[in-house]
Amino acid sequence: MGQVLVLGLINAGIYAVFALGVVLVYRGTGVLTFAQGEIGTLGLYVAYVLVTEQHLPWLVGAAGALLVTTALGAAFELLLVRRMVAADPVSTAVLTVGLGLTILACEFFFFGASPRVLDPPFLAASFTVAGVVVTPTQVAALVVALALGFGLQAVLRRTDFGLGILAASQDAAAVRLVGIPLSRITLVLWSGGAFLAGLAALLVEPTVGTVTPGYASELFVVGLAAAVIGGLTSLPGAVVGGVVLGIAESAASRYLSDANIPGLRYVTVFAVLLAVLLYRALAPELRRRLAPAPAGATA
Amino acid sequence: MTLLELHDVTAGFGAVTVLHGITMSVAEGSIAGVFGLNGAGKSVTMKAIGGTVPARSGQVLFEGEDITRLSPEKRVARGMGHVPQGRQVFPQLTVEENLRLGAYTLRRKDKGRYGPALDSVFDRFPVLKQRRQQLAGTMSGGQQASLAVARALINQPRLILVDEPSAGLSPVAQLELREVLQVVKDSGVTMVLVEQNIAFGLSLVDTAHLLQTGVVVHTAPVSELDDDTLATHLGIGKVLAGATGSALSARKGSKR
Repeated sequence: MGQVLVLGLINAGIYAVFALGVVLVYRGTGVLTFAQGEIGTLGLYVAYVLVTEQHLPWLVGAAGALLVTTALGAAFELLLVRRMVAADPVSTAVLTVGLGLTILACEFFFFGASPRVLDPPFLAASFTVAGVVVTPTQVAALVVALALGFGLQAVLRRTDFGLGILAASQDAAAVRLVGIPLSRITLVLWSGGAFLAGLAALLVEPTVGTVTPGYASELFVVGLAAAVIGGLTSLPGAVVGGVVLGIAESAASRYLSDANIPGLRYVTVFAVLLAVLLYRALAPELRRRLAPAPAGATA
Repeated sequence: MTLLELHDVTAGFGAVTVLHGITMSVAEGSIAGVFGLNGAGKSVTMKAIGGTVPARSGQVLFEGEDITRLSPEKRVARGMGHVPQGRQVFPQLTVEENLRLGAYTLRRKDKGRYGPALDSVFDRFPVLKQRRQQLAGTMSGGQQASLAVARALINQPRLILVDEPSAGLSPVAQLELREVLQVVKDSGVTMVLVEQNIAFGLSLVDTAHLLQTGVVVHTAPVSELDDDTLATHLGIGKVLAGATGSALSARKGSKR
């Protein structure tokens, strides 16, 4: 049981950071972004070039990766999203699919399909919890996810611009009418979302140690599911969604490994997602039926 | 002194042109009303002034300066305030957070002015002081209207654009709103009021601009308006125009 929890929490942090990026962009702009996985993978390739090819320290590689992913998010907003301001969010969401596919094609073009090795930052520093080897980046992923999920909202409320970001998610048009530059808010959100994608990929990569095209997209799919489970607009909800999926997944692989279910990770993720969505859809009706009839009511 | 001028402004959405050359001016310290039937272009006139629907041709002058190409945010920074249609308060933020956002450009210019501005708004709207920690979305329609007006006032604007404030409000909330707008009027801030409820609007404004299909067809001080003029220029018929009669006679009987 302890092993299941530890393994679950290790993955939970990664899923939650991906989910936070999705929620941040969705909250402020109403657009579901599908490019997070590929943006993260691109960041890893940047780190690979800097660390493995140029022999620079891992932290420099990580900083380069975050810089490039953040700049890519900003450029995407400035060059494309801003021009689609009158379009409905679904069209912009499709645009993010295009961005993801373009990055994927670039990864194949420049680096080929074979895995590239990116050494982890603190190889020797791993330790054991409940029989599971845990690395510092795995702990960092969970800490970052918890800090962002539960702290970001409070931080946003402290500054006027941060409050503007929260307000934009409630009524973007009204934000302009109180004099807050909405375009600056969307620029910050898209850059922030891309930064989180880069961060999530950097936190997960040391566990595997190699990068291939589309590498982070598989994890992003789970992150997206975590965001949906958390309600898509709640930053703490995204973290809770990540934890639920992380633990469900590790429990499934522990207890259902004998069943030989192909793609057990996705089966588990989508089973949980389906259950949560069904519950949300049916809960009001169930509550109404199970509630005691008001006194004096007649059949 | 003229605070706001529109010269032959045209505006619209996509292939549709709604305003076909609006010309009007608003004197400093006055309340201008824009009246017309559905589709006459009242709200688009307001949006062209505020900048959310940019003018395709013509000029918008504010304090004598051409602001036709300025974004809505920059117009707010220059001294425009908005009480938008449907109030559009931020429902998940508290009353005080809504007011803090309303004072966004004031706080950027000089944070020290925010405290006194907040106190002054709380003096004028005691209900907001009582509910300063309450989420705006949980207040009644009338209270939200007060918050929307206070959110515009706290930035100490030179001009407030009030768009269809009575829409969707119960009769009791409309009375509450009438008092709130009277507070704004007494404070001496210049106001442009768009209102479909003509009787409600006429009870507040100094000058009425009557719109038909995107053109101002008649402008007059309220003291010079009568049922016939309203019926002719709004195309509403004498029976409906008569319903505004009590508002007109009330205004003629008072100096306000």
